Amino acid sequence: MMNSTNNLDFVKEFVNSKVQVLKTESVDKQQLAFEVNQNDVHLLLSSLKSAGWIQMSYLSAIDWIEENKFEMVYVLFNWDKPVYIQVRAKIDRENPVMDSILPIFPGAKYYEREVHEFFGIAFPGNPDYKKQLILEGWDDIPPMRKDFDPKVYSDRKFPKREYPQDFSVTDPKNNSKAKREAREVRATSLRGGKKQ
Amino acid sequence: MKSTKFTPVTKLSKEEVDRKWWEIGDFFRRNSLWMLMYCTGCCAIELPPAMTSAYDMERLGMGPMATPRQADILLVSGYLSLKTLRRLIYTYEQMSEPRFVVALGSCPINGGIYHDSHAVINQLDQYIPVDVYVAGCMPNTESVMNGFVDLMIKIKNKTAVGWKNYHKNFEWYKENQLNSLGEVVVHDEFHQ
Repeated sequence: MMNSTNNLDFVKEFVNSKVQVLKTESVDKQQLAFEVNQNDVHLLLSSLKSAGWIQMSYLSAIDWIEENKFEMVYVLFNWDKPVYIQVRAKIDRENPVMDSILPIFPGAKYYEREVHEFFGIAFPGNPDYKKQLILEGWDDIPPMRKDFDPKVYSDRKFPKREYPQDFSVTDPKNNSKAKREAREVRATSLRGGKKQ
Repeated sequence: MKSTKFTPVTKLSKEEVDRKWWEIGDFFRRNSLWMLMYCTGCCAIELPPAMTSAYDMERLGMGPMATPRQADILLVSGYLSLKTLRRLIYTYEQMSEPRFVVALGSCPINGGIYHDSHAVINQLDQYIPVDVYVAGCMPNTESVMNGFVDLMIKIKNKTAVGWKNYHKNFEWYKENQLNSLGEVVVHDEFHQ
């Protein structure tokens, strides 16, 4: 009988038999993550696809700026053995290039365009990964990189409203909180009936 | 003796006649406002109670309208990303005049919780004129309804003149739009 524990064991054995796994992580009861080398990603994805993980649920990237690496994450799902598999691979951050997985999962076309737009990772093999998808007329470094400062960009691009005085509650001169508490105390003192 | 039933026709100037017709038009207009709901953000969740039996917008004579060319109010509910702003300007310029803009929530006022986002604009009135703001994150339905009543009063007092200001300061608005958006024309694969 199949159950989720069997499935997890099967996945671990299967992946380890195919490629060299750097790190295994169990995300939750139905999700396993395998970190592999960049060159093994395509082999692993195609073997998983023939083993039944036919759905590529998501493709994204993570910026590990301290390590100077990008991490690609591919999430696959199997409709017969309900286990999500994350395939992770760290790639160079200075010159980020990751071969496209279009021959394996054609649906990754738009995900790769999105990743290119938000992280600047190149996907040779995807004919139009450079076309804009979400950001229109972007004129700065890709916005999901950790060295991009959205506040600076927002201050530069969008006019801000000027306020004549500081309405902030953190302002020491703003005593509206004390006033509110004094009002509450007075309201309680005026309240009739049984005192609590 | 002159008949009291006869009032001599005074010769009114063209401006006077125009003013009277505008007053008549404004009376009917403010009692029958059609809204184009541009539900950009989370404040749109306040509209179902405002439109349905809980607060019943119909009693103010207001109703939803599906197309910009037949609508009077452009209702911006919530934050506006750059992409949305581009489409919003398209929509606003399509609307027939007089047109009014009501902005819900704190995001069109000063950016709200998205004040430091790379994708969300901070001040809507830099790009298109806004007649009524309803502040709050999010405003409750009473304040939304109150905002509509405020707009009616403004139309009555002839102070809802955002659409005139748009003509008067057209260059200024266009310059702001271009500074933030780069170009207002949409260039993507779905529009070619």
